[in-house]
Amino acid sequence: MAAWDLSVTVEDLGSDAPPVTISVASDLHVGGVILKLVEKTQIKRDWSDHALWWEQKQQWLLRTAWTLEKYGIHADARLLFMPQHKPLKLGLPNGITLRLRASFSCPVFQTVMGICRMLNIRHPEELSLLRPVEEKKKKKDKDLAEEIYDLTEVPLSSGTLKIQIFNYRLSEKLDCNRLTFFAVSRPCLYNGMPAHFVDSPQMEAIYKMLSVTQPPPAPEVIAKQYRPASVVDKAHINGRWLDSSRCLMQQGIQENDRLWLRFKYAAFYDIEPKYDVVRLTQLYEQARWAILLEDVDCTEEEMMLFGALQYHISKVAQSEPQMLSTNAAMDDLESALMSLEVKMEGENSSASEFNVIVCFRPKRLTLKGYKQYWFKFQDTSISYFKSKEESIGEPIQQINLRGCEVAPDVNVASQKFLIRLLIPAPEGMNEVYLRCENEQQYAQWMAACRLASKGKSLADSSFQSEIQSIRSFLAMQKTNSHGNAPAGDESINTHSLVSPRYHKKYKPKQLTPRILDAYQNVAQLSLTDALMRFLQIWQALPDFGLSYVVVRFKGSRKDEVLGIAPNRLIRIDLGVGDVVKTWRYNNMKQWNVNWDIRQMAIEFDGNVNIAFSCVTADCKIVHEFIGGYIFMSTRSREKSDTLNEELFHKLTGGHEAL
Amino acid sequence: MDQVSDEEVEVREEEEEEEEDSDKEDQDLDKMFGAWLGELDKLTQSLDDGRPEPPPQQKAPLRQETNMANFSYRFSIYNINEALNQGDNVDLDALMADLCSIEQELSTINTKPNSSSSGLARLGLTDTKVRGRISRNGLLTSASSYTSATMRRPGASQRQHRRTGSVGTVSEHEQINSLPLSLSLLKHSYLDRETSLILRNIAGKPSHLLTKEEQAAKLKAENIRVALEKIKEAQVKKLVIRVHLSDESSKTMMVDERQTVRQVLDSLLEKSHCGYSADWSLVETINELQMERIFEDHENLVENLLNWTRDSQNRLMFTERIEKYALFKNPQNYLLGRKETCEMAERNKEALLEECFGGSSVSVPEMEGVLWLKEDGKKSWKKRYFLLRASGIYYVPKGKAKASRDLVCFLQLDHVNVYLGQDYKSKYKAPTDYCMVLKHPQIQKKSQYIKYLCCDDIRTLQQWINSIRITKYGKQLYTNFQEAMRRSEAAYDWSSLSSSSIKSGSSSSSLPESQSNHSSQSDSGVSEMTSSGHTRSQSVVSSIFSDAWRRGTQGEETKDHVVLFQRFKPETVVS
Repeated sequence: MAAWDLSVTVEDLGSDAPPVTISVASDLHVGGVILKLVEKTQIKRDWSDHALWWEQKQQWLLRTAWTLEKYGIHADARLLFMPQHKPLKLGLPNGITLRLRASFSCPVFQTVMGICRMLNIRHPEELSLLRPVEEKKKKKDKDLAEEIYDLTEVPLSSGTLKIQIFNYRLSEKLDCNRLTFFAVSRPCLYNGMPAHFVDSPQMEAIYKMLSVTQPPPAPEVIAKQYRPASVVDKAHINGRWLDSSRCLMQQGIQENDRLWLRFKYAAFYDIEPKYDVVRLTQLYEQARWAILLEDVDCTEEEMMLFGALQYHISKVAQSEPQMLSTNAAMDDLESALMSLEVKMEGENSSASEFNVIVCFRPKRLTLKGYKQYWFKFQDTSISYFKSKEESIGEPIQQINLRGCEVAPDVNVASQKFLIRLLIPAPEGMNEVYLRCENEQQYAQWMAACRLASKGKSLADSSFQSEIQSIRSFLAMQKTNSHGNAPAGDESINTHSLVSPRYHKKYKPKQLTPRILDAYQNVAQLSLTDALMRFLQIWQALPDFGLSYVVVRFKGSRKDEVLGIAPNRLIRIDLGVGDVVKTWRYNNMKQWNVNWDIRQMAIEFDGNVNIAFSCVTADCKIVHEFIGGYIFMSTRSREKSDTLNEELFHKLTGGHEAL
Repeated sequence: MDQVSDEEVEVREEEEEEEEDSDKEDQDLDKMFGAWLGELDKLTQSLDDGRPEPPPQQKAPLRQETNMANFSYRFSIYNINEALNQGDNVDLDALMADLCSIEQELSTINTKPNSSSSGLARLGLTDTKVRGRISRNGLLTSASSYTSATMRRPGASQRQHRRTGSVGTVSEHEQINSLPLSLSLLKHSYLDRETSLILRNIAGKPSHLLTKEEQAAKLKAENIRVALEKIKEAQVKKLVIRVHLSDESSKTMMVDERQTVRQVLDSLLEKSHCGYSADWSLVETINELQMERIFEDHENLVENLLNWTRDSQNRLMFTERIEKYALFKNPQNYLLGRKETCEMAERNKEALLEECFGGSSVSVPEMEGVLWLKEDGKKSWKKRYFLLRASGIYYVPKGKAKASRDLVCFLQLDHVNVYLGQDYKSKYKAPTDYCMVLKHPQIQKKSQYIKYLCCDDIRTLQQWINSIRITKYGKQLYTNFQEAMRRSEAAYDWSSLSSSSIKSGSSSSSLPESQSNHSSQSDSGVSEMTSSGHTRSQSVVSSIFSDAWRRGTQGEETKDHVVLFQRFKPETVVS
């Protein structure tokens, strides 16, 4: 066969170097081309990650056994010889940027799998990559050098079994598209970290960044971030998702480009805090930002609870060691012993009661002022007496606080320390106010009341920590009332915990009691429980998990919004802003994409047919969302540990993948 | 090792006693109780070391009670009074069976200290004297006793005699009083540092990979757990409840404070032979407020009943209610936010339920619409647009759109239950009779803290009530339903067997297994009777009794049964 010249640009020679020309025949297979190329460059190095990229066709030549003829390559082809893995700047849900090497040749789905394996995130199918929202660069002088964590040195094979693909040495049996193996199961950990993070202190620092929640952002940072103002704004963001069935190169992503890694499908399967430290942390970060930036709407009460949880999480995350290695069975035993301890201590009555003078006002009986009584706390009840001397006798009244509501009414600046008790009784709720003299007394009594309302006595081990958390909250109010919050670790500006809407509505010191109010219900949670609670409440919001796309329904002349949820599609009228129609995936018979006219057609049970074209996102994105959710719902049934990648592509790929 | 031999069983008499009833049937009954109590007395005496009588009962220290929970146990005496005075068919035979099972328990408890203290000894407490102290403390609070068993039962007291008018109390406690053991001692000897260190290290290791020491440590921890469980168990209280049936009759039974509504239902179902269906419910009716609520299966019955006031007219009904689980039988009518009812294939129903309840989080059904709200203290109702969210019920303020941030919180659901209002059209001039009420379970009288909502039709009402239940209980509700269905299937399978051979799902089966294990392992080593044996003998006795009562037989025949009963008893005692 006749030989002809093929010129290939070798990236490693530098961008100015001329293409390397080799003499080939049409029946030479790609592996042979590479071999000739490598020989010609005379550079000794590991070429195993390199492959040929055909620029005109936007295609990798990964089938090394295929001949040039089979690929259709002639002398005019512009070929590039370069590594398949290239560095990428990756924005994480927690707002931090990582630099790491990702595959530019695999479908994005596999690229994400590789990234997640490196970061120790299970269930990579729930995540994907998207192009970031351009940041407005108003002031160039304020060009803060962003700290970038570098992971490019991590060997590509780390995390799971070594599967290196030597495309040009091996026969057609192993090629990239067939590489479906991925261990979803528990990775082996050293010190609770994947092996490659134990290498150096720097790497450990990166792992810490990944697995520990970030402190609350400064209010200005929240205010500066892009906030979608409407459903249409939110719809535009969804146009940025990359196509999972094509590779990064094919989607115009260059080396060192910036991409975001985000949880894309709101179906979080099998979260196991023990193994999912990074996953849980990043998921929480994404949820937190979704709340702070009002990506998901919530009520004021919910916002306060989210604020309280954030406060609690940031506080506990600082104090608690990151790894949770205690055994549940041990915990049980310990708590059983603990409760035994409490009972035993209860015998010793001095430990479980304390006396103090508190002023007291049953709400409706007197119009103003408080009367002083001698108060005594015992078990879960408070009793009061006319004076200390009479306290050996019968109390004027004894109030059991079990099951009551305890609310603070505090103003540090004016030295107001009130405890409001709402005690259920057959006749209704009894409202009682206790007025404490100072912070110290308030913290003790508040802590005691809270424990008692949960049926715990003062002997409970959490009493001291409860006092501490109340005091730190009071400290927060104190610093907030003196204008700007200093950057002490005890004090958090409450504006850091809520969305900018509430920055305008309330001053930090007005916000403090409201958050404190919500805080008392979560103050006892462990870090993991608090994270899980945050996610739970987030997932329970009506708008949670809705991805919007502006579409044009067939036969309609105006734009409407399609909301894609984990279990249904909703049609939203832009004029009314209300849900007009809901279709559930359960009733879906089939869906089709007409790639020529970029239209989606879906058929539901009972001869319901809908068809629409997509305005703000490519119809591949919409197709992938729907197929992706259907894929996510298949996971629970087949409890296998490996990811069925083939099925994912089948459901999301469209004709291009097949 | 010091044997804890001097624990005691005390039978205390309740404060009020009513006049003797001359009814012959009752006398027989009394004799029977007397005989039973005689036995118990003997048992007591053998255990008692002859300490003086208990000090006179302490006066209630409170001038004014603010909270029900001040009293260890209170219960509607009204119900019992009514039952006894009217002389209607009190289900004394069933009660008898319960008493029987208590007795069994008692006998096991008696031997328990042995083993639990030997358990302690094994765990390194041999050098400590575990001394029993006899306490005749009648008013035993759980805080003051390390281990105690308090039980209540009505209509019987130590001196064999008439029924008492109030809820009779037999509180039988025995205390192994190991209080001198200081806590620190307990803690350290229970789990010394080494052991806990080993335990920590072996966490999650498969058992076959453990070394000998590690296994020993594991065993040790296991033993401690068992010991602790036994301690807990011994503190269980019981009380007598009266359950009204839909045919105006009523049953009296004993419940254990740990029992869930499901367990009580099971035992009622078994006793009443009414055919199993998941729809059988325990319904709380609050007459004074004209409202009712179906207790959820997972709820603790005693806890709920303790919210009733002393003179309460409330009733506990045992009745079939299709609305209890209608939500799961036709989920499409509740979960899809549709206005109209419709049919759905079973397969799809399952898929829908799985989708809603199978995941890690349960989403709240989309529930919103105009409801009538009763204005505080007035008999007028105003319209408001309400929405249900996971965090509570909200309404849209006037002139605002229903954007989340503008919603006003009407009520958070953590502390309130949803009740069905009855006949509010006439009581409160409600626009319709489809009313629901939200209130704290402890509130029993009219109060501004009770919220009344009225719907336009029954369907809306049921949708709201069920959506609120889902919001409150989430997945638990579905678990309850599945459990109920499983039982009804099981009951169907067993229907060919005779009822007496079925292991009862009543209080006896609710006893933790450790007890029966224990009895067979007990140091006395007398009998190895299995727990199923217990239940059988017990249910045979109870069914014989019930037959006897139903026939209205008296005199000798009854005595025969007493004999029969006593014949069974020794077995249970030794075990």
